[in-house]
Amino acid sequence: MRRVLAVLLLAVTAVLGLATPAFAHNVLLGSDPADGAKLATGPAKVTLTFDQPVQFGFNTVTVTSTDGAHWEAGPATVAGNAVSAPVRPLGPAGEYTIGYRVLSADGHPVTGAVRFTLTTPGTGTPASVAPTGTAAPSAGGGGGTPVWPWIVGAVVLLAAGVVIALRLGRSEDGQR
Amino acid sequence: MTRGAVRGRTARPWLVTGLVVAAVVGVLAGTAATAQPPVPGLVGPGPMIRYGVPVARVLLDLAALVTVGLSLLPKLLGFDRPAHTEPVLAVARPAAVVTSAVWVVAALAALVLQTAELHPGEPVTVGDVAGYVRRIGAGEGLVIVAACALAYLVVAVLAVRWGETVPAELRIVVAMFAVLPLPVTGHAANTGVNLHDLSMISMELHVMAAVAWTGGLAAAVTLLATNRGLLADVLPRFSRLATIALATVAVTGVFNGWFELYLTPGIHWYTALATTGYGRLVLVKVACLVTLAALGAIIRYRLLPRIVRHERTALAGWAATELAVMGLAFGIAVVLTRTPVIS
Repeated sequence: MRRVLAVLLLAVTAVLGLATPAFAHNVLLGSDPADGAKLATGPAKVTLTFDQPVQFGFNTVTVTSTDGAHWEAGPATVAGNAVSAPVRPLGPAGEYTIGYRVLSADGHPVTGAVRFTLTTPGTGTPASVAPTGTAAPSAGGGGGTPVWPWIVGAVVLLAAGVVIALRLGRSEDGQR
Repeated sequence: MTRGAVRGRTARPWLVTGLVVAAVVGVLAGTAATAQPPVPGLVGPGPMIRYGVPVARVLLDLAALVTVGLSLLPKLLGFDRPAHTEPVLAVARPAAVVTSAVWVVAALAALVLQTAELHPGEPVTVGDVAGYVRRIGAGEGLVIVAACALAYLVVAVLAVRWGETVPAELRIVVAMFAVLPLPVTGHAANTGVNLHDLSMISMELHVMAAVAWTGGLAAAVTLLATNRGLLADVLPRFSRLATIALATVAVTGVFNGWFELYLTPGIHWYTALATTGYGRLVLVKVACLVTLAALGAIIRYRLLPRIVRHERTALAGWAATELAVMGLAFGIAVVLTRTPVIS
């Protein structure tokens, strides 16, 4: 047992040595415009600031009015702890919602919303087709082969392997 | 008497039913309790993904802990009475082949589901998964887990073929090594904080102790529940392991829970215990631990002396209850690693 413990301690050390630093979930510290802000003119861009750096890629920032129309003008960009997205000139006065989904380095997406109010109507029109607002084209973009057939194949292969292995073991048992 | 008859009499696989059911219930209830309201303008992952990811992760944990438990069994049984222990190990070895296969599949399923979580509303492609593995620590971790579990599967098949000449230590080390990668990709650690390394080590110790404790109990009671002769040997050995595991799980768990709350800006950790979903789940886990300590104490001080005297006891019932509480704790653990403290 002591030998096992020693090997395990070594293993832990090895894993910790190799491990890339993992982050906790990002927490939103502030935004521009701030949550609950009342603005006379629409912002040209919205910025969300987090407590630690945001992973590049996989980040989405949207600006929507209460009727569900989208007002963001392009994909989100990352700069250190901040994520920002350009905004079209806003339209009717009222409440707008900045929705975000950013990726913590531990692989868990963090979502949330910040709301601000436009007090004076603008002249802008919403995007006709809602842009997806992804910072990077979907990662890898490896040709769009669906992944499920591969997983099903792996499961079938493993199951077959297990059955064969157990059969072999049993026949060996019987011979003894 | 044939070996088949011996197997039929001693193995009680249904004793882990409570463990599996409680783990799945715990993870589903915890996920529902910490669910966030949909954000306007964002396409969120569907319920298949939202509940599929935690379920795959908890099945991964269960497959891992049963595999580790089955690997520990030869050590708990000892090697001095092969005529008695060999029929039990002849059941344990093929069982480990099956559980390690489940382990591999659960890791791959979790990998695909977690990739899908980042691409809501789109079908997942091979390229998406490759990108997830390349860029996200959690993806890389799951690939390492799948590879290690596959390596274990090969060793387990060799053990089925060659019996205990395949060293038990090798199986324990490979199984434990496959347990290691995931905790460091959860939100175990933060940069810029001195306690960073300590929290990672603490998380690893927590997971290893919990897995060895639960897995050892699951393997021992399912395969030995009615074998009073072997229980008298195995349970005192397991009891020592369980005591160390209980102490380790308690100390590291309290530290990790506190640390995560303490690090989150904008809240005080003591109020967050009651006001955040994360804090409440930490309290539920502490309650689980207290219950486990009580159940363990009953087995240790009330049943163990009689088991050592080869008397008939209600061990199966108590152990199944303890396993169910452990399952609940594992289910909640999965939710805790995924939930932001505040949303």
